[in-house]
Amino acid sequence: MSATEIRAELEIVEDSADQPVSGPGLGKTTDPVSGEIPADAPPLVWKDYQKIAFRIAFIFFVLMTIPESAKWYTQLIHFDWTSLHYRDLYDIARYQPSFIRGAGYYGYAEWLVLFAVSVAGGIVWTLLDSKRKEYNVLYYWLTVIVRYRAAIGIIGFAFTKVLPVQMPYPSTGILNTNFGDLTAQKIYWLSISIVPWYQVFAGIVELTSGVLLFFRKTATLGAIILFGALGDIVYVNFAYDGGVHVYSSYFVLFAAFLLAKEMPKIYNLFILERYTVPVNFDIHFKEKWLKTTRIVLKTGVIVLFLFVFFYIQLNNFLYDPYKQPAAKGVSALRGYYQVSEFKLNNQVIPYTPQDSLRWQDVTFEKWTTLTFKQNKAVPLDLSNGGGSPMRDINRTFEIAGVGGGRRVFYYEADTINHILYLQDKFRASTGLAEGKKKKGRRSEAKQDKGKGQQNFLTDQQEYAQVDAAGLTDRRLKGITAERALETKRNRMVLHYSTTDGKEVLLKGINENKDSVSLVLHRVDRQYALKPSTLSAGKY
Amino acid sequence: MSKDQFNTGNIVWKGYEKVLFRLAFIYFFLQVFPLDWKYYRHLFSLNWFDLSFAEIFQIAKYTPQFVSGSYRPQDWGLATFADWIFILTVAVIGTVIWSAVDKKNTHYTRLYAYLRILVRYRLAIAVIAYGFLKLFAIQAPYPSLSSLNTPYGDFTSWKLFSLSLGIVPGYQAFLGAVELLAGILLLFRRTSVIGATIIIFFTGNVFMSNLAYEGGEVVYSFYLVTLALFLVVYDGKRIINLIILHIPVAPARQALVWTGQLKIARLVVKSALILVFVLIYGFSAHRSSVKGGYHFTDHPGIKGLKGLYTVKSFTLNGQLRPYSLTDSLRWQDVVFEKWASLSIKINKDYTALNDNVERVPIGTGSLFEPAGTKGRVYYSFKADTLHHTLRLTNTSVLGDTASLAGSASFTTAPGTANPATDGQLSYQAGPDATLLLSGIIGGNRIEAVLEKNPKKYLLKVSENGRIRGTKL
Repeated sequence: MSATEIRAELEIVEDSADQPVSGPGLGKTTDPVSGEIPADAPPLVWKDYQKIAFRIAFIFFVLMTIPESAKWYTQLIHFDWTSLHYRDLYDIARYQPSFIRGAGYYGYAEWLVLFAVSVAGGIVWTLLDSKRKEYNVLYYWLTVIVRYRAAIGIIGFAFTKVLPVQMPYPSTGILNTNFGDLTAQKIYWLSISIVPWYQVFAGIVELTSGVLLFFRKTATLGAIILFGALGDIVYVNFAYDGGVHVYSSYFVLFAAFLLAKEMPKIYNLFILERYTVPVNFDIHFKEKWLKTTRIVLKTGVIVLFLFVFFYIQLNNFLYDPYKQPAAKGVSALRGYYQVSEFKLNNQVIPYTPQDSLRWQDVTFEKWTTLTFKQNKAVPLDLSNGGGSPMRDINRTFEIAGVGGGRRVFYYEADTINHILYLQDKFRASTGLAEGKKKKGRRSEAKQDKGKGQQNFLTDQQEYAQVDAAGLTDRRLKGITAERALETKRNRMVLHYSTTDGKEVLLKGINENKDSVSLVLHRVDRQYALKPSTLSAGKY
Repeated sequence: MSKDQFNTGNIVWKGYEKVLFRLAFIYFFLQVFPLDWKYYRHLFSLNWFDLSFAEIFQIAKYTPQFVSGSYRPQDWGLATFADWIFILTVAVIGTVIWSAVDKKNTHYTRLYAYLRILVRYRLAIAVIAYGFLKLFAIQAPYPSLSSLNTPYGDFTSWKLFSLSLGIVPGYQAFLGAVELLAGILLLFRRTSVIGATIIIFFTGNVFMSNLAYEGGEVVYSFYLVTLALFLVVYDGKRIINLIILHIPVAPARQALVWTGQLKIARLVVKSALILVFVLIYGFSAHRSSVKGGYHFTDHPGIKGLKGLYTVKSFTLNGQLRPYSLTDSLRWQDVVFEKWASLSIKINKDYTALNDNVERVPIGTGSLFEPAGTKGRVYYSFKADTLHHTLRLTNTSVLGDTASLAGSASFTTAPGTANPATDGQLSYQAGPDATLLLSGIIGGNRIEAVLEKNPKKYLLKVSENGRIRGTKL
């Protein structure tokens, strides 16, 4: 399309220079301070370097914005749009180039590749289009693309904080783990988790920047907030080894692009103290069908990514917080216990700090988890404990980045016969994504099934453990899919009994097929840390 | 530019603008200009030829305390909202009188310019003072060995905030650099709006953190935010026109032009402020960081003793007490720090001392260690390495009484030991690389055999990346 064709469809509105504006409290200033007054129309002739830079930037940001994986597109069809899970929209919003596995250059390898491609493309474009004087229209559209991409992405991030599920309040097991037995990443995540209202505030800041980016007038303000907030998050991720530095940098880059054209103005007005005329190139559609299309698209994006997203995120917060197991734990058992007596194969083992067999303390979480501490080195899960696992057993935030000899077991309870069927939450290979790719794992899983490693609950029962209002299509499919990928885990079967909850007896077979028997005494643990004032999930 | 002292032109302010200005002038003048006589008593009590950075830090923390009484000779306290209400009341009354008396002035351009200068410098000094603490990563020190061996739930949220920042000195330095940059931008008129904007976001976040983590500087951080907001309001209309409405904007007119002696005076005052609050303060903060900061005592511990110890055997008043996690008298483990402190884990419920205000103690020991945690009992000690004895002061208990008195530091003067909590121990090497402690502590006779625990901390093991297959 040539420029003239575009202009036939569009009315180009340029802001005209109004009268000089006075500062507050200064009353009416009379004359504009002397100094050059630049032309108020958009520069119709761009400088050569501007044109070249623009061509490169255009290709680069478009490549950064377009999802290159087929999965991104196919998921749109696979989602049950009548029963959305927050992660469905989150997956649409959370996109970044990732075509190199284990990308180097601190994870920025894709960016470098795309930048190299853009430079090459920019050169070719420059050769082919050398007579062109300006790219005002295309620049406008690139700004729109960048604004919307950044807005949708950050909103996807923001909602997990606005309804605080990204950083869940520490489990009882973590509250009883020493500070030095956590990874730096864990310590940062926990430091936000203990102040849920602050997490909400951080989410609102991100959300605000996203909303402001939807509208061209407020876009600069949104970009400033996005740049500041995400710039800090990039640094946090490097400092605490958080692992999300590339994706947070993505937003800083997009915000920087939007701010680039504002910087000279701010510099001109405040540092040079010169009269400043903003140069704007806005496009206003004349034709009705274009006007309607714009309104429909914009409204659609806002409704989907603000209102629908908020609703499904609220659902997640209330019933199925994605980093915590969603099913209720046995309520009579929940709490922190000292082990009064520990028998292994009918032999009492007294407490000594050096003993590697005895359990030192036990916690029952409000969800289906039992933890105990042993003086024994075990392999650790040093991931972030995030992702989108649908099975409670695969929700590993409570074990990820936590050491100190604490063992964490997921259980399925037979509440009629008072039996807990426990499985180690730790798996040598934790990544679910990894499991999906390897075919070998499938056969492994089959082998496991052959060994009779069944679950006490069926798929349907496991699915139905969550409050009916919190059920989604994704969870149902996910449970079945993740079960198929299961590998061998440590297992225990323990019979429990308690009269008043103060004393709990556990008896059964541990992960080494030895018989264990414990007497637990509930401790009314008074933490210095105050309990959460805003908790996700229904337990 | 004319040679006049300021550009007046034919400026006429609207009536409400004048009233608002009068109110703002009195209010902010009282908030930032040191009128509190206690402050001058404080200033004159200092040795100006040998200022410690702790002393400058306190000078930089001036807030008028006309009503509240948190002032103490060693530590200039912080104002409360009661002081704000008092100042606001005075400002309202003052505005009424001023409006009644002054019918002549058509504008206050000059006064407004002076007020902005005052506020700019007040704000700059405040944020630079904190900026250096973070730049040199001494505001939140790396967690002590005792803290590493304390359960997460046994800290208050404020302490966890400090510890969490303490493990990443590089990030803390980055925060300090941002704060410092904003402060320096505030020192110059043309860049001040950028500095003030950064402060609104940065200190606004500090304010939110203080609220969330129950920090003690809610009022102070909010105070700084209001100053920054006041500064940005001056340019508010210009900012909105430029970046939101996208219409042409004229720059602010320089209201004051310094000439002659005033120009020299301005230069001298500005240089002096920069000398004291940037250069001298910066260098002495750096010196402090080299010595390991101000949160832990600078008395060294005993050579070779630093570490975590399991208490293998423990005798209390002649009675042997076996290993137990539930016994409320038995020691479970002991930590000796690099400096002259030790802490003991006992299964006993303590109340956590709440010290959530940033204080830089002058010369005496800090109560940072026992503050905000209840997992362990803390002692500072004076070691006699010749006779192998430790004179212990129970700082956990001290913290309790000190926090009541509102002090976060203590002095261990000879002869002030409290027999109910303090004590004296002798230490010597035992067989099999054990350490034997015996003596009287809190009125009880104890003998303990300690064995070093070669514990590896996940925090440190994972420092160079989270490697798959790590076993701990």
